Amino acid sequence: MSLSRTLKILVLSFALVNVAMAAPTSAQIDRIQNTISTKVYCMCGCATTLKDCPDLHCPVKAKMDQIIRTDLKQGKSEKATIQDLVDIYGEKVLAAPPASGFNLTAWILPGVGLLIGLFLAITIVRRWRRPAVQSATSAAAPPMDDNVRAAVEEEMKKYVD
Amino acid sequence: MNQVGAVGLIAALVFAIYGAITGAIAGKLRSPRMLKSAQRAVLGFFVTATLAVISLEYLIYTNDFHNAYVAEHSSLALPLRYKFPVLWAGQEGSLLFWTWLLAIYIGFAVLLNRRKNRQLMPYVISISMAVATFFALADFAVANPFNTLSMASASGMTPFTPADGNGLNPSLQFHQMTIHPPLLYLGYVGFTIPFAFAMAALLTRQLGDNWIRVTRRWTMVPWMFLGTGIVLGGNWAYHVLGWGGYWAWDPVENASLLPWLGGTAFLHSVMIQEKRGMLKVWNMSLIILTFFLSIFGDFLVRSGIISSVHAFAQSDIGPWFTVFLAIVAAFSLTVLFLRLDFLKSDNRLDSIASRESGFLFNNWILLAAVLAVFWGTVFPVVSKAIENETVTVGPPFFNKVMIPIGLLLLFLTGAGPMLAWRKTSFQSIKRNFTIPLIVAGIVGIILFAEGIHGLYTWMSLFLCAFVATSIVAEFYKGARTRMKTSKEKFPSAVYNLTMRNTRRYGGYIVHFGIVLIFVGIAGQAFRFETQGLMGPGDLLHAKDYLFRCEKITSGQKENYQYVTVDLAVTKDGHAMGVMRPQKRFYIASRQPLSHIALRTNLARDLYVVMAGTDQDSGKAIVHVIINPLVQWVWIGGMIVLLGTILALIPSRIERQMADIHKHQEATVEAHHVT
Repeated sequence: MSLSRTLKILVLSFALVNVAMAAPTSAQIDRIQNTISTKVYCMCGCATTLKDCPDLHCPVKAKMDQIIRTDLKQGKSEKATIQDLVDIYGEKVLAAPPASGFNLTAWILPGVGLLIGLFLAITIVRRWRRPAVQSATSAAAPPMDDNVRAAVEEEMKKYVD
Repeated sequence: MNQVGAVGLIAALVFAIYGAITGAIAGKLRSPRMLKSAQRAVLGFFVTATLAVISLEYLIYTNDFHNAYVAEHSSLALPLRYKFPVLWAGQEGSLLFWTWLLAIYIGFAVLLNRRKNRQLMPYVISISMAVATFFALADFAVANPFNTLSMASASGMTPFTPADGNGLNPSLQFHQMTIHPPLLYLGYVGFTIPFAFAMAALLTRQLGDNWIRVTRRWTMVPWMFLGTGIVLGGNWAYHVLGWGGYWAWDPVENASLLPWLGGTAFLHSVMIQEKRGMLKVWNMSLIILTFFLSIFGDFLVRSGIISSVHAFAQSDIGPWFTVFLAIVAAFSLTVLFLRLDFLKSDNRLDSIASRESGFLFNNWILLAAVLAVFWGTVFPVVSKAIENETVTVGPPFFNKVMIPIGLLLLFLTGAGPMLAWRKTSFQSIKRNFTIPLIVAGIVGIILFAEGIHGLYTWMSLFLCAFVATSIVAEFYKGARTRMKTSKEKFPSAVYNLTMRNTRRYGGYIVHFGIVLIFVGIAGQAFRFETQGLMGPGDLLHAKDYLFRCEKITSGQKENYQYVTVDLAVTKDGHAMGVMRPQKRFYIASRQPLSHIALRTNLARDLYVVMAGTDQDSGKAIVHVIINPLVQWVWIGGMIVLLGTILALIPSRIERQMADIHKHQEATVEAHHVT
């Protein structure tokens, strides 16, 4: 066997193996399709994700499933497949707004609200605490033994609630 | 009967306006005569609203399709048991239903307070009847259920009666649907009463603890109805929609969650005002917010501004609600602002490690949840208005944002009650937290060893163990103390402990129910599903289960055609019987619906849906879902309901106090007579 023929066989074998490895298996396609169908909405107007469209005979769902499957079979990534759906149906097909531009506010605001709330709660707690003068006065009272305090707390729980 | 109903509705509107005005005058002039007149207006409102409801139901039951509402939502073939729910199946009927429920609530509020809260009641009547005026007016002017059908002819418009109606939406033809909407409505509508009491307290400057004590139960009742309605709604979605889930973060679902969260925050923070005289402005703000969110929820359902599987069709009612919401916000916030000087705290905080700060942080998380759900729900509208771009905010967004918030809340559910009022010593924290943390740690290790590595799922189950142990420990400690002091046996000690302080222990039971709901939700992480085409003799594997198609049959029932597939199920070789999922096609409304087959136990649900038939092969499209732990969601919901009912029962201490008050009042009365 000549060197060039051996090389050709090697290159061909490598290409075949590569293609076989790149082409996703049916199980992989099912898995990715399942993931995508939770990330996009069915465009039939049912206002649910593609996965949860209540009409399991829905023609729009069938068409969207077909687009996803074809893309995945062609070796497109999850991201590229979702982008294809966005190109066809617009951004409203996405079950969550992309974290960019104005849509970023959708993601940021709850976190900001949480932090502002925490800041306010801490501020209120600080403001609520007794002034130093009062603390000094109360400090004059004999200190309470921890065991006694625990017993009082336990007893108070029965009445104060 | 159509005219009787129409007259009833107009009369209800007149009574509502009259009651709102006379109530305000009675409050301003402190006139008992005007108060009596306002009370009679409430009675008149209730009677006429009831008359309108009875009239509409009569038209529905007698298949009077000359009435446009009946023709739109009912049909001859509709089974009798589903005739009553037609009342709330559409915009017009449900507005009337809302008005009627409001009449019932106001009637009860007046009845139960006829000898109490004399200063507050005129304004309570005025505010609640003003709200009733809005709903009666909207029902009369925009969505009148007594409109009749007519058609154009040579001699102008002539009355028209179709031979049959369009029929009830098939997804509403389930027994849950005869309970779920009324419960939700009882929740939404009920928040009017605590709001009215709060406004009355502000207007009369009666801002002590009285309005809080009076309204606590008036808040708990709608909160209980709303919560139960939400769980039942999830149960309905699970059994009817055929996607194997119970919560999809749909805008209308969110709309019901918002006032529930607001009410939950109020029911917790109200305790700080009762015990310590703190958070007065906050409590007022929360009750205003809760009422606002209940009206906002109704607005979302009715206006059609957001697309949802549950929403009514787009209508002209949106602007009416927008104006009403603006009036509610402007009025309540103005009154609150004018009374700020009367709402100063009586006490200050003794320590950060206290029940007070626990409640404050609980409110922080609950309000963060309100903000996140609200923002996610309205964001598509905001985006459309600002960017002119339609976006969708669905489960991926809410799951990402709400799961961490939910877990924080779950932690506080366990930690908060273990803190004492005023100050908790380090010893006490150590004593109370040690056992729950040890148990949760052991559970966490076992879960990890069993292969549960998903952070949120693991964390959720870990915290469930922590909270459940802390609740059991609270009962155990309390019972042990009683056993020592009263020589009672353990079961009677637990019973007496609970009945002595129903509010506290009812609250613990509610928390326990919430824990079980979280367990059920965590189970979703292990959901498995598969689908296959099945003809007689075909097999389908789903984990340990094997399905064998026995036969496919078709036929017709009173108002639908069906195709059923009989599936023999075996698990690990053991026969489990036959499951029969069904595909229905409702004739009047021309809509299909999947009727699921379900095998359920505490560990998992076997959920089988017949999606339809394959047109080429004639085989059934069978969808199988294995849903672990779902039953705990429904059990948890029931326990929350039981806990709330228990908390509503007056405790022994409360009853003793009430007897003392009654005796004092009788003495004063006798003294006056003498």
